Amino acid sequence: MSQVNRIKGGLVDRSKSLDFTFNGKSMTGYAGDTLASALLANGQVLVGRSFKYHRPRGILTAGSEEPNALVQLRSGAAQEPNTRATMTELFDGLTATSQNHRGSLEFDLMAVTDLASPFLAAGFYYKTFMWPAAFWEKVYEPIIRASAGLGRLSMQDDPDTYDKGFLHCDLLVIGAGPSGLAAALAGARSGARVILADEDFAPGGRLNSETLEVDGMAGADWAAQAVAELAAMDNVRLMTRTSVYGAYDHGVYGALERCTDHLPGSGGKPRQVLWRIYSKRAVLAAGATERPIAFGNNDRPGIMMASAVRTYVNRFGVAPGKRVAVLTNNDDGWRTAQDLAAKGVEIAAIIDTRDRPAVCDVKGARHVRGAGVVDTAGRLALKRITLTDGQMIDVDCLAVSGGWNPTVHLTCHQRGRPVWNEDLSAFVPGKDLPQGMVVAGAANGNLTLAAALDEGRKAANAQIKDLGFTVSRKAAPKAEDEAYEGAPKWHIPSGKKRAWVDFQNDVTVKDVKLSHQEGFRSVEHLKRYTTTGMATDQGKTSNIPALAIMAECTGKTIPETGTTIFRPPYTPIPIGALAGRARGTDFRPYRLTPSHEWAKAHGATFVEVGNWLRAQWFVKGNEKGWRDSVDREVLNTRQSVGICDVTTLGKIDIQGKDAAEFLNKVYANGFAKLAVGRVRYGIMLREDGICYDDGTTARMGENHFVMTTTTANAVLVFRRMEFVRQCLFPDMDVHLISTTDAWAQFAVAGPNARKLLEKIVDADSQDMSNEGFPFMACGEVTVCGGTPARLFRISFSGELAYEVAVPARYGNSMMEALMKAGEEFGACPYGTEALGVMRIEKGHAAGNELDGRTTAHMLGMGRMVSSKKDCIGWTLSQRPEMMREDAEKLVGFRPVDRSQKLIAGSHFINKGDEATMANDQGWMTSVAWSPSLDHSVGLGFIKSGDTRMGEIVRAVSPVHDTEMEVEIVSAHFIDPEGERLRA
Amino acid sequence: MPDFTLTAAPPLAGYDRSFGDIALKAPKDLAIVSIALPLGAEDAAKAAIKTAFGIALPEIGMSAVAKDKSTAIMRLAPDQAFVLFPSATPDAEPQIAAKLNGAAYTTDQTDGWCALEISGAGARRALERICPVDLHPDAFAVNAIARTVMEHMGAIVARTGEDTYLLLSASSSAKSFLHAVELSAKNVS
Repeated sequence: MSQVNRIKGGLVDRSKSLDFTFNGKSMTGYAGDTLASALLANGQVLVGRSFKYHRPRGILTAGSEEPNALVQLRSGAAQEPNTRATMTELFDGLTATSQNHRGSLEFDLMAVTDLASPFLAAGFYYKTFMWPAAFWEKVYEPIIRASAGLGRLSMQDDPDTYDKGFLHCDLLVIGAGPSGLAAALAGARSGARVILADEDFAPGGRLNSETLEVDGMAGADWAAQAVAELAAMDNVRLMTRTSVYGAYDHGVYGALERCTDHLPGSGGKPRQVLWRIYSKRAVLAAGATERPIAFGNNDRPGIMMASAVRTYVNRFGVAPGKRVAVLTNNDDGWRTAQDLAAKGVEIAAIIDTRDRPAVCDVKGARHVRGAGVVDTAGRLALKRITLTDGQMIDVDCLAVSGGWNPTVHLTCHQRGRPVWNEDLSAFVPGKDLPQGMVVAGAANGNLTLAAALDEGRKAANAQIKDLGFTVSRKAAPKAEDEAYEGAPKWHIPSGKKRAWVDFQNDVTVKDVKLSHQEGFRSVEHLKRYTTTGMATDQGKTSNIPALAIMAECTGKTIPETGTTIFRPPYTPIPIGALAGRARGTDFRPYRLTPSHEWAKAHGATFVEVGNWLRAQWFVKGNEKGWRDSVDREVLNTRQSVGICDVTTLGKIDIQGKDAAEFLNKVYANGFAKLAVGRVRYGIMLREDGICYDDGTTARMGENHFVMTTTTANAVLVFRRMEFVRQCLFPDMDVHLISTTDAWAQFAVAGPNARKLLEKIVDADSQDMSNEGFPFMACGEVTVCGGTPARLFRISFSGELAYEVAVPARYGNSMMEALMKAGEEFGACPYGTEALGVMRIEKGHAAGNELDGRTTAHMLGMGRMVSSKKDCIGWTLSQRPEMMREDAEKLVGFRPVDRSQKLIAGSHFINKGDEATMANDQGWMTSVAWSPSLDHSVGLGFIKSGDTRMGEIVRAVSPVHDTEMEVEIVSAHFIDPEGERLRA
Repeated sequence: MPDFTLTAAPPLAGYDRSFGDIALKAPKDLAIVSIALPLGAEDAAKAAIKTAFGIALPEIGMSAVAKDKSTAIMRLAPDQAFVLFPSATPDAEPQIAAKLNGAAYTTDQTDGWCALEISGAGARRALERICPVDLHPDAFAVNAIARTVMEHMGAIVARTGEDTYLLLSASSSAKSFLHAVELSAKNVS
């Protein structure tokens, strides 16, 4: 097909032909075309089917407000549905297909729904698919989903990449039309850092679409000159193809830059970048959107917005029709007739809804005063229109102008409410704008060129002057104001003919009236009942007409009826762009332990613990399941020696003259008298007396402590201690810094732990005998011939155990050395599962027990909460309810039938009682298979547990539908006297 | 001769690549020691710093570099600074402690951080993708530093030259951090 509708002029580059296909048909356009303009140039008027009735639809607009011309772009995995043809820049090899039809676009089988339209009015679904309820999800929804909706997803992974970024500026100018360019020039000339963003690929806004002059030259030329000046300035960032989609707190704006959408491929670079723009000030110069007039069958392909027709003629050199009529309620519509006539397009008639003389002369055009259009004909394209007086006119294009709506969207993003302007019959921005924003030009209701240029410049000058810049003295651009008067006309009574208000959602005047009739009085209800204003166009062309019709029904004025407001995003933002680069393994950062490489090479299975990847167990030989490995690791450790990377535990370096006193405040138990070279276990309380973390703290020197926290709470403890230091006790000399990552720390546990470490720790640096380095000792040592290290004699497993720390860079090497040194003892590495089993066998509390509800009293550590000193949480920990005698106490449990496996989360019920909440005695927190005892062991909280040793209760798990008898025992299944760890 | 010897393997050791006009490398043997100023004895600590390094403790958000460029001091908080200097041995903290002679508290931070130096005409363009801080020359002078978050990772960014930035982040997540910076460089080059 040749470019039958291509006419002279326009800003397209005719030296660069671009081939593309639409529904498989080969077509040609030029560089500078949008897909919409290229389709029109090729005479492709029909481009899609409507959402609900599958009505043939064409191109309505030339901008981001397009409700009709939604296509599927590209193919395969890169296929993107619901792409606006008006916003798609043409590139060589572009493939587009129409959507929402069965069979061909021309003969859509689903068009049968249009015949059934009397039954498909607003609320049809709510009223019809009511019964039976069981059908909602299984029958009705799949059917509705299959017949409605627009494009289809490829269901493959998105092959493109996305990125995000951060920008900063003094002045953000949103929109590069006349007022935006004037604002950007003013800002840039003053020396301020300016970002000028526009969603179009060609800055200039309507200057590119009109025949108006600025500074004595064509508007498009002036725009090009302004852009050239801006582009040459260091303090300006010119961002085309960039939609500023949201206004957030403190002058932060969201913007989507489409980097490679206009290219055949992305070349390995991000397709789109989501920017967060930090602006000191902003000028919103978003322009205005022309609105349609509702009349009978006003949705046929060929019926377009008058400004869009003008744009296709002037900017793209495309005549959307050969014989065009104009329907307008304002002076601006006349300019379309003028511009088309000037290009030699036949103007059949200008139908002005106002009964007044012609605005201007248009050669060959008939002027019909005080009239309207009531019906149209043409199955797949417009052929004829019928006027209010019954006369019919053959046309293939009808340009409609119902006046202009300032694009106020971004002014509403922080709950700003637009106000009604009677002169314009439109909403304009209200006073409560997002911080730092001013509005200029058409977006502010100044629709004419000279006014827009002037306001853009003045707005920018006021903004930057406020920031302390000296305003440029360069003269303002000169232009004239065009005629724009109008009288509102929202819809033309068209008998029983359906008149569309919202093209995207197939909402008609009748639907709006029906909604009112059925009692939906609020605009918010109207919107939800009819779905008007939803989907990709967010009601840019439909909101105000729907509102006006609603107002007519209620007999109220439009401002009395109210308006819905807007929230981000202004235009659709792909989920891929929001996700950015956070995909796959890079979804979030991961932390590796220093011995990660060693673990990977030695059969480790890793588990995510927060951001850490920790070795969970190490498979050896023919071990089939995780239990085989874990049981072996536990037995090996208890019988000889095991090694575990415990670097992930939080480490906080605490120094200062008041460090000891500070620890007395943050720990419930006393630390002030801890001797240098000794370690103590401590528990921390929240302000409300609940226990929130535990760990050990070593006194390395008089004023120097090293604290360990649980892995999960490392950051929380650090943050709370900073708060305590800075806000509660600012007079204390105490300083905190995290050293979690700085030291690779290994637990070496088991009866042979000392023998192993004697081979590692330099003999001259530490006496390793039980007397020389007893349980709970700590010290600075050297290992492997002089490497500085820290040694702690602490035990989580209950065995004779140490933790040894070396600078993290030596961590992997240290793991190798420890294993080599342990060879003669049959040392094994153990993972977090074995660690967990051993701590349960030993009865040590961990995260399962410190769940944010438990107190020291419950944990059996009530006596640790020192009454000799004050600590954070002390007062509230002493509340009577917290100290109840019958509080749930931490104890051990074993199944009466030793072959049974305990279930964590089970609740305890006394024998003979019904398993109800009222009879709940407590709950099981941790369970494990104890390879040491050869049966399941558990820890849990049960009322007065410490006084109920030997009692049999039932562990009930309604979730698993199980229950079993369990015996209350000491939590210390292994070595209750602690002889091993002191050995 | 001990039976076992340890070899150092810092997470990004030896990394050195270019992406168009952007160079990215991991500085070798960069030692970091934190200094905390004792409450009530700040002046003495500042004097000791001046004596030890020949440079005054800079203002918060700035770093100061010794004349021979061997040492830089980053002031991170009212009572906290980092001393950065080349040292291959794991004794960075005792070295600094000895120089300060007890006038301030010191903690070895060398192994807690990974460092990347990004330089070249495109460095700032790459950092725009991950660094929320305004790095425009007017807003972030040479020797300026800032604590920030990049790709969910805590980080310090320091402008060490006209087009050169030193980035520090936690060593445990060094691979994620490298990926973040490297991808930024790739995406803009």
